[in-house]
Amino acid sequence: MKRPLYHYFMIGAVVLYLFVPILATLIYSFATQWHKTILPEGLTLGWYRDLFGDVRFLEALGRSLLLSFSATALGLVVMVPTIFSIVLYAPKLEKFIQMLIVMTYAMPGVIIAVGLIRAYSGSRIPMILVTVGAYFVGILPYMYQGTRNSLRNIHAESLMEAAEMLGASRFTAFSKVIIPNILSGIIVSSLLSFSILFGEFVLVNLLAGGHFETIQTYLYQKLNTSGHIASAIVVCYFLLICVLSTIIVRVTRSKKGGGGR
Amino acid sequence: MSYVTIENINKSFNDQQVLHNLNLAFEEGEFVTLLGPSGCGKSTLLRILAGLTTPEAGIIKIDGKDVTNVKPKDRKVGMVFQSYALFPNMTVEENIAFGLKMQKMNKEVIAKKVSRMIELVELKGKEKAYPRELSGGQQQRVALARSLVTEPKVLLLDEPLSALDAQIRKNLQKLLRSLQQELNMTTVLVTHDQEEAMAVSDRIYILNAGHIAQEGKPHDIYTRPANEFVARFIGNYNVLTKKQISLLIKDESQFTHDLYAVRPEAFGSEFIMDGYKISGKVQNIMPLGNITRYEIVSGGVAVTVEHLHKSYEKLQENELKTLYINKEDVIPLT
Ligand SMILES: Nc1ncnc2c1ncn2[C@@H]1O[C@H](COP(=O)(O)OP(=O)(O)O)[C@@H](O)[C@H]1O
Ligand SMILES: [Mg+2]
Repeated sequence: MKRPLYHYFMIGAVVLYLFVPILATLIYSFATQWHKTILPEGLTLGWYRDLFGDVRFLEALGRSLLLSFSATALGLVVMVPTIFSIVLYAPKLEKFIQMLIVMTYAMPGVIIAVGLIRAYSGSRIPMILVTVGAYFVGILPYMYQGTRNSLRNIHAESLMEAAEMLGASRFTAFSKVIIPNILSGIIVSSLLSFSILFGEFVLVNLLAGGHFETIQTYLYQKLNTSGHIASAIVVCYFLLICVLSTIIVRVTRSKKGGGGR
Repeated sequence: MSYVTIENINKSFNDQQVLHNLNLAFEEGEFVTLLGPSGCGKSTLLRILAGLTTPEAGIIKIDGKDVTNVKPKDRKVGMVFQSYALFPNMTVEENIAFGLKMQKMNKEVIAKKVSRMIELVELKGKEKAYPRELSGGQQQRVALARSLVTEPKVLLLDEPLSALDAQIRKNLQKLLRSLQQELNMTTVLVTHDQEEAMAVSDRIYILNAGHIAQEGKPHDIYTRPANEFVARFIGNYNVLTKKQISLLIKDESQFTHDLYAVRPEAFGSEFIMDGYKISGKVQNIMPLGNITRYEIVSGGVAVTVEHLHKSYEKLQENELKTLYINKEDVIPLT
């Protein structure tokens, strides 16, 4: 069966629409001058050298990684066992979690930020910890979905019962049987959470802006000074997200190939 | 004093009582089957025995010890689930070794026990396979081995074979019975398949809607059903009212109970001295492989008759036939 021509045209248009900005950004980050010509006047790695030579950039990158990583790790350690317990042993509480999840979507970032500033600015708690707390709540939807679906897939309840009948305590059964079987699922949720937090700008800028420069705030400032360096940042950021996505896809695929019944 | 006793067990789910004051007792080394239709509470009773479900009232004793409030992991009871519930992240070997590792047994002992068990359940060569690489029958054998290797005091089996096809099921029934005999394992099997129950058990409890309908040896239950439920559930008993049986066998004075049961294969064409005689028209002939089933209609009452298939004995639809039956094969029901 032959596809009509306009199919190709539509697909081409969409691809163009999506990739031209990325391509342009990529080229701009390598361009020496690109003002009056269709193609850049020359190519250089200079912008990247400047970028990675800037201590502020490296520090901002480090902070961003640290912030996203700690919120994700905290989410992993606290939420996975909690969701496990609720799904298996207190299913009535699931409604409560679902309500929390809706609330994370319902509140615009700016309002959350203002609310948090009002609530915590007078307290002794550093704003950066408040940010971690807000991030922790923000990734609840991803952690909940991932964990719950994995538990469903492996029939966690009967695995727990089988392990208990063989003499394992609930804790041992959870760590030796459940965790290894939901690992790929929770890795995917964590990577997803991590990349979302890594790109977050509104909350961290409003809550901790001046004292805690992240990659996003750094990028924002560079936009005003050098478009080339800003482009280089975007390219680096894009690469990182690509790597994370590849890992997510790989893990998901290997899970489908193996595991389960 | 029996090895396992279940005393006055009651259980409700959402105000619906599913077990009504049950009392059961199993001897050491006995193979007992809980038989009943789906939803009658078999699994619930088994799970109460395992400690996975808590009863509202009642006492459970195993080996003389009250275990009613003992956690499942400390009851020394093994359980095999219908869904196998093998650990997908572990090989056959690791699955079987799991229970022994929980007992902190030494590595060489574990390896020895595991390999002997793999031999017993005929899974040699599959040690390193993962559950997903095995067939249903093989998976269920792993599940069986995983429970047996820990040498539980009681082995519980919840419809372990019902997800398998007929041939494999027959083979596994044999394996199950021979393993049970060899290890002298006190075993409780739950099933809704009366043939399976007859084939493997020393004793059967028939459950109906959370009550015990009858208890006894397979042969006794089969030949002496105590009530209508059992008669209908076991085999294809003809269940007849007093009026029907009187019309069929023209001998009213004999029949004082309200209901009677007659096994289809209890009828024969040879004369029986002290028996009953029925004559009627042959209808609905059904050749079922090694047996032939048909109905005899007499006095407006139809009864099902079965006998072994004989090629030289051609039955004709609407043919008149006289059959005989022993008096004790007409069983009064309560
Ligand atoms: N966890 C449960 N919650 C509510 N009702 C249940 C639960 N488990 C079993 N039941 C009910 O109890 C009755 C007996 O169930 P079950 O013991 O599984 O029957 P069987 O194993 O004989 O098929 C059924 O009516 C079933 O719906
Ligand atoms: Mg059941």
